[in-house]
Amino acid sequence: MRLRKILTHFFILMALTTNISFIMSPNPYELVITISMNLFATILKMGEGRILSNELMASSLVADLHLIPAGFIYFLGDKNEAVGLAIGALAANIISIVLGIIETVLATFVEED
Amino acid sequence: MRLKRKKLKLKRRERLIDIYEERLFKILFLFRLPLLMLHSVMTIGTLGYMILSDGDFINSLYMTVITVGTIGYGEVVKGSDTLIGRVFTTFLALGGIGVFTTSVTILIKIFFQENFVGTFIAWKMLKDIEKLRGHYIIAGFNRTSIELINLLRKRRISFVVVDNRKDVEKQMKELGIRYYILEETYKRAVLDAAGIYRAKGMVVNLGDDTRNIAVIVTARLMRPNKEDFFIFSFASTTETAQKLEDLGANKAIVPHRLLATRLAAYIFHTSSAYISDLFDRIAFGEETDIDIREVPIPEDSPLVGKKLKDIDLRRSLNVTVIAIRKPDGKLNVTITGDTEIEAGDTLILFGSPKNLRKSEKFLLKQLEVKA
Repeated sequence: MRLRKILTHFFILMALTTNISFIMSPNPYELVITISMNLFATILKMGEGRILSNELMASSLVADLHLIPAGFIYFLGDKNEAVGLAIGALAANIISIVLGIIETVLATFVEED
Repeated sequence: MRLKRKKLKLKRRERLIDIYEERLFKILFLFRLPLLMLHSVMTIGTLGYMILSDGDFINSLYMTVITVGTIGYGEVVKGSDTLIGRVFTTFLALGGIGVFTTSVTILIKIFFQENFVGTFIAWKMLKDIEKLRGHYIIAGFNRTSIELINLLRKRRISFVVVDNRKDVEKQMKELGIRYYILEETYKRAVLDAAGIYRAKGMVVNLGDDTRNIAVIVTARLMRPNKEDFFIFSFASTTETAQKLEDLGANKAIVPHRLLATRLAAYIFHTSSAYISDLFDRIAFGEETDIDIREVPIPEDSPLVGKKLKDIDLRRSLNVTVIAIRKPDGKLNVTITGDTEIEAGDTLILFGSPKNLRKSEKFLLKQLEVKA
């Protein structure tokens, strides 16, 4: 068990789950927590020299770039547009999760070798 | 499957660009902790003020920034002027200001101490070097290299300078050298990064015979064919020059001998100093408007048996055949339009570099047409 890996995967999952909960019931607290979790996940992916790190980082940045504008748009009044952007971020977060699983499987093979 | 993967792993060369990329990742990794600290404080502060103000995000974020950033413009968020609000601000300021200043200090320290920008520039340069083709590698940066660089620039020949001294970087930048690598020259990974497999040749000028040998041997092991990849080196004595040539250099030059030969040429031709100087400048590549080129005529060339006036290079391409070198090495300088081209001859052409290139292509085309 590696604490760093647990922490990274925890925040990647949290980013996804909070993103879904914001889409299901849009409210300001959910949105701020989603943005925050996504930023945590991005920071934790920084400087990782693993197999799919670049792809993971890119997907995380995509999610951030959807959610940060969503935050401003939401608080400026356009809730529908903010939800739309959050759905975009959700797609990026799902990709992030899939990449995370692939990366873990590949890393296991490399370690075995 | 596993065996195959293992073999692939072993075959993979260590690349300098990967080492630099790893360095960049390591620096980025160091940024994580201060950023996480800063982000945690910002999240706690924003969410806290949002609860107090009933969901006012933008003002809550602003209030957090001005609190932890010690700006303190006042209580701008609704609910922050209440008792609970002031208790929250007190705790946020107590914890947040320390975290903020520590994080910012660490971030700045990492940025400058780990030379993030320098590593990124070096990595970018290696990426650009990967695009170079037919360039020259100059191993060793000194006054001779600077002169050589100026001459190569005149001929628009691209080059990569490799030197292990970090203190020469400033001078290289001042001279506007686009591609350089500050690493040990004799390493395979460094020569690979300098594009040895795509380069035309290399100049080894490290100021020390032992170091020159190390680089020449490594380079020749990587590019064994002397016809494909030219290595020119400096040597301290004639004996060492011979050894360097045996070890793989196409030509090893003894600087003081070369200087003496050039000076002697001036002494011997005092009455025809201009021509002597002109040939010298052409030979040394200082004359960019005029050049001399040798074009060998193979036995199956359609030009064999033709007279010089028949191909008339002077009129069609503004190039003059000044001499013909015979297969036995003798030079025929008394040529006329009626001189016949024989198999194995080498035409010595005189003209502008552009026209010389055209004539070379023209003569080569003749052969291709026949084929």
